[in-house]
Amino acid sequence: MDTIVEIRQMSKSFGPTVALDHVDLTAYGGEILGLIGENGSGKSTATSIYAGMQNCDEGEMLFRGEKWNPSSMNDALKKGVGMIVQENGTVPGISAAENIFLGETKEFMSGLFVNRKKMIKDAQDALNRIGADHINAAAMTGSLDFQDRKLIEIARVMTGSPSVLVVDETTTALSQKGRDIIYRIMQEMKEEGKCVIFISHDLDEIMNKCDRLTVLRDGKIIRTFSHDEFEEGAIKAAMIGRELKGSYYRDDYDGTVSKETVLEADNLNLSNQLKDFSFSLHKGEILGIGGLSHCGMHTLGKVLFAAEKAESGTFTVNGHTVRNEAEAMKYNIGYVAKDRDVESLCLEASIKDNIAIAGLDKFAVNNFLILPKREKQYVNEQVESLSIKCHDADQYVSTLSGGNKQKVAFGKWIGRDSEILILDCPTRGVDIGVKQAMYQLMYRMKQEGKSIILISEELAELIGMSDRLIIMKDGHLAKEFARSPQLSEADAIEYMI
Amino acid sequence: MEKKENKRKFTSGKLLNLAPVIGMILMAAVFLAIAYMKDVNIPYSFKNILNQSIITMVVATGAVFIYTLGAFDISLGASMCVSALVGAMAYNRTGSLLIMLGVCVGCAVLVSLISSVLASVFNLPVFVTTIAMLSLLNAFALVLIKANGTGDVVQVPANAVRGINTVWFKLIVLILFLAFCIFAFSFMKLGRQEKFVGGNPICAALSGLNASKLSIIGFMMAGLGVGLGAFLTITYAPTLSRNTAGSVGMDVIISIVFGGMPVSGGARSRIYSAAVGSLSMTLLSQIMLMLNFDSGISQMVKAVIFLLVVYVSMLNSRKTILPR
Repeated sequence: MDTIVEIRQMSKSFGPTVALDHVDLTAYGGEILGLIGENGSGKSTATSIYAGMQNCDEGEMLFRGEKWNPSSMNDALKKGVGMIVQENGTVPGISAAENIFLGETKEFMSGLFVNRKKMIKDAQDALNRIGADHINAAAMTGSLDFQDRKLIEIARVMTGSPSVLVVDETTTALSQKGRDIIYRIMQEMKEEGKCVIFISHDLDEIMNKCDRLTVLRDGKIIRTFSHDEFEEGAIKAAMIGRELKGSYYRDDYDGTVSKETVLEADNLNLSNQLKDFSFSLHKGEILGIGGLSHCGMHTLGKVLFAAEKAESGTFTVNGHTVRNEAEAMKYNIGYVAKDRDVESLCLEASIKDNIAIAGLDKFAVNNFLILPKREKQYVNEQVESLSIKCHDADQYVSTLSGGNKQKVAFGKWIGRDSEILILDCPTRGVDIGVKQAMYQLMYRMKQEGKSIILISEELAELIGMSDRLIIMKDGHLAKEFARSPQLSEADAIEYMI
Repeated sequence: MEKKENKRKFTSGKLLNLAPVIGMILMAAVFLAIAYMKDVNIPYSFKNILNQSIITMVVATGAVFIYTLGAFDISLGASMCVSALVGAMAYNRTGSLLIMLGVCVGCAVLVSLISSVLASVFNLPVFVTTIAMLSLLNAFALVLIKANGTGDVVQVPANAVRGINTVWFKLIVLILFLAFCIFAFSFMKLGRQEKFVGGNPICAALSGLNASKLSIIGFMMAGLGVGLGAFLTITYAPTLSRNTAGSVGMDVIISIVFGGMPVSGGARSRIYSAAVGSLSMTLLSQIMLMLNFDSGISQMVKAVIFLLVVYVSMLNSRKTILPR
């Protein structure tokens, strides 16, 4: 096999945090190389440097044996290396077509003007080629949902026909359809003798799709597994440096909950996202809500936090009507949104600012005076209990890894002791060690009598954690399952499609 | 060894945040050195510097509450002009300095309130309503001057304000207002919430923050600064015309940016930026004056330094937002 990617002794630091410590990595043509490791292990840093997003402090990179030093991601893509990033990588205020050909407008210049008709046609072709023909290339990107924006990014990268494709934690944000698109592209590239570097926290997925697997921990390469060495336990142990003890999901099948209803939704309607949707949530219940990405479940999360208003229907929390987000918080509802970087966190603010903002009324003296000592104590409790990897709470959230960002988003609501938590894809982009800790936390909260609405695209997670599982389809409640050891993903999928 | 190096980088990042303060101290040192060499009366010059910069410091400190939200008020100068005119007319009717102060502050706060409430009611960017306010206030200033019937100006007897036209009085006003703003910005929910709205309005809304309410409070704080600025303006220059406070809007922007605050507001906003920036700008002007720079060259130097400050602050921000 041809050696395409070579990284030699690469090091990178962010302030006092060492992200990469003399990393050596090689990827060959005709293979899918998996990169796995805990949040903050350096996977995204190493690949983003190779894809031209940032520079390394030390080390050397080669592409097909030649010295590799791209000046930007656009430059890297032109020369053959494309990357689909973990978070949203599109510009919302322009069309899908303009996003696909971002920085390439000159290709469509006709005299002094841009030939938009041609640009839109070529963009539509690019979308069709990857199987995203449901997206209108002329549509404004901001009006599309997270998955479609991700597909635009994929189309954008694929227009460059890269020899190396980095897929960074993308699949967890996508429904099965979106995942299938990525899997097909990866397979095609492999068959064409090109190289794919695939980053994911989903061990099953990565073991299924990859030919080799490299494990990173604390910025160092721990081990590379060949396909015949793939073994779940060994990979997990290499990732976290110890064996995972205890259950991953909760191990009881007792789905009985208190009769006390804490939240009641009655005939909620909102355009084509929610249609006569009714349900109730009980004290101490984990209610799972699943379905395809566009089934309306993410909208439901927003409506229940009063961030979006239902056109008709009502919902009450302990008998109170909730009119806006502040009232939702007053009635002790917390909401971890799916789009973490836009909706859950202020990236340019510190960990302290992000965690404290939802809990000002909890630690401010007489809901008025903020004493730095009390604030610090409030924040540090969350940083410690959630094991957020950081230098200190003053570190900017933008410098954290995806999983640690998610922990901050979690800490914001756990800190204020929310009685009802709406979690929209809470474990997206989170490694197995953190995932397990989050599941344990959810279970502990349930036992403390707190109620959780768990919205997720991962059926295993929903089945593993929920007391009750609602499957949504086209805004309707398609099926409700009680917790049972017999409940399988196939049972749920039947009502999703 | 490597840890030491990382620690050094981290510390240098924090030092970069303090660059505006360090810059101000350096400029004061340069000013002192040149003044000493040129045998300039240093206490007198310092008094001059304070006289020149205090009004801008007061107005800009209040305006930080607007800029933190990522908003912008183009009508600050016009509001100050109208507030001063109304305040002066109130004095001429009542002969009370206290009433003059109350009217100045009340008028400025009212103007800010109207701008922000209109923006909230019509769901417009507050910047748009301040543009409308600018025209309205300019016209209103003309009407007031005409109605007063003393030509192109409104005057307060110089004797009436002589007693408070001292650096010490202005300094006390500045210190009290600055202390109040620091308290509101750093020790009350207001500052935290404003920074969050400025940093990410979507996330702020999903954290239960009411951006409209915060915007109204922010504008009222700015109005308070404008009102005090109007009062100090009357004491400094008791003859008011339509051009009074004409350059305040621009001076405020320059001061805030020069003090190291991002124009886009958000989490990195600092309440002391206005005071630091304003003092630095005045020191810079004085240094160039003492070096006999041509006024055109002085403006160019200021512009270059302004760009440099913006570049340095962005450089620090770029380093810290790289994804991992």
